Amino acid sequence: MLNGLFDPATVFIYLPRLLSKLPVTLLIVVTATLLGAAGGMLLALVRLFRTPVLNQAAVVYISFMRGTPIVVQLFLVFYGVPWLLDHVGIDINRWDKLFFVILTYTLNTAAFKAEVFRAALQSVPSGQAEAAYAVGLTRLQCFRRIIAPQALLIALPSLGTGLAALLQDTSLAYTLGIIDVMGQVHAIASGTNRMLEGYVGAAIIFLTLSVALEKGFGRIEANLLIKRHH
Amino acid sequence: MGFDISFFLVALREAIKYTPVTLFLALSALLVGIVVGLGLAVARVFQLRVLATLSRVYVVLIKGIPLVIILLLLYMTMTRMFDDIAKALHLTVRSKDIDLVWVAALALSLWSIANIAELLRGALLSVGKGQYEAAYSVGLSRRQTLFRIILPQAVPVSLPMLCNTLIGLIKWSSIAFVISCVDLLNGALIAATDNYRFLEAYVAAALVYWGLNLSVEQMSHQLEKRLTRYRKEAIH
Repeated sequence: MLNGLFDPATVFIYLPRLLSKLPVTLLIVVTATLLGAAGGMLLALVRLFRTPVLNQAAVVYISFMRGTPIVVQLFLVFYGVPWLLDHVGIDINRWDKLFFVILTYTLNTAAFKAEVFRAALQSVPSGQAEAAYAVGLTRLQCFRRIIAPQALLIALPSLGTGLAALLQDTSLAYTLGIIDVMGQVHAIASGTNRMLEGYVGAAIIFLTLSVALEKGFGRIEANLLIKRHH
Repeated sequence: MGFDISFFLVALREAIKYTPVTLFLALSALLVGIVVGLGLAVARVFQLRVLATLSRVYVVLIKGIPLVIILLLLYMTMTRMFDDIAKALHLTVRSKDIDLVWVAALALSLWSIANIAELLRGALLSVGKGQYEAAYSVGLSRRQTLFRIILPQAVPVSLPMLCNTLIGLIKWSSIAFVISCVDLLNGALIAATDNYRFLEAYVAAALVYWGLNLSVEQMSHQLEKRLTRYRKEAIH
């Protein structure tokens, strides 16, 4: 019955070709993580300092990004951003699709990270800031040397989960025609009846990455906790 | 090209028309997830040998493999194997007769089982060890301990997280469009295939998803308020 349905050898023939597109997947993940962290920090500060207007805008933005599917966001950015920019006379219709994909994941990551950062910054006891001001630190010094390091430690587990979720989310970039690991499955196997092997190959790659990610984050966390206890 | 408001309204109507499909996908997966996930969580908390290991491996697999791959794998194997089995049994039913909603519901259920197993495990462990010991010491069996002492305390803890899972399921149900299952998103998109006004269709779909998830969030807040009020009363 399973004859011809699944051929394990093909998986191994496909794996190197799928891995050759792993850099595209990683590029999306790394860029979106870094830019998203910066954006998330800005949003968190806007929320914490209750900057008028910006605060309300941030609330709506975060709610929208967290309340809609990533695949919808991908296409909204792909169709919507060129449409918006067209009104101010900028034509980006011919830009690489990868740009829109990275922009979407960045915007999405920023919204999720904003909430993580906000919660972490709020969880540092206010006595810490008061003590820092009492010994004469400036506001910036206090944030950089006292508050941020403690908040980062609190945020670390959530940041790990966020990174794992982002990796999973990138599996949808292929719907826009990006040739990353998932896109490569369709590029090399469509038209053949060996799609199944392609998906299994992609599954193996994603599984390996996410297990490695979890182990890595577990180790960093353990190290930092030891340092704190000393 | 401007934003066509009248077509946006058409797409919005289509999206709302197919919202029950999205809700069916999310709620059925939530239900399956709670039933099976609870079983897996209990297996791990009570360290039932084989089942606990199985549960751990299952969670790693489902959390590590993107849901869209799981959905596509299921879709391909189910449609092909179903035909082979049907032929062998001389049935006239073929895979093309099956509603694809079931394939999507199965994929979402697999995902929600893993997520709910993890969050219920956390909730079960959040009930102090002393509660288990006290229950055993007065002669309750494992089952009695679980149903009379532990679960009543663990359920309130897990409710906000279950609401989060429901939001996740509503969002993830949108990937049903890759197997051409007609849900909220696909309903809006099909309306746009004639005139290529995809921006309007995606905006319409996004607003409906947003509305759905905001209502779940509201519900979650109400539940939480009620539950914490109850807890405060217990302390006094």
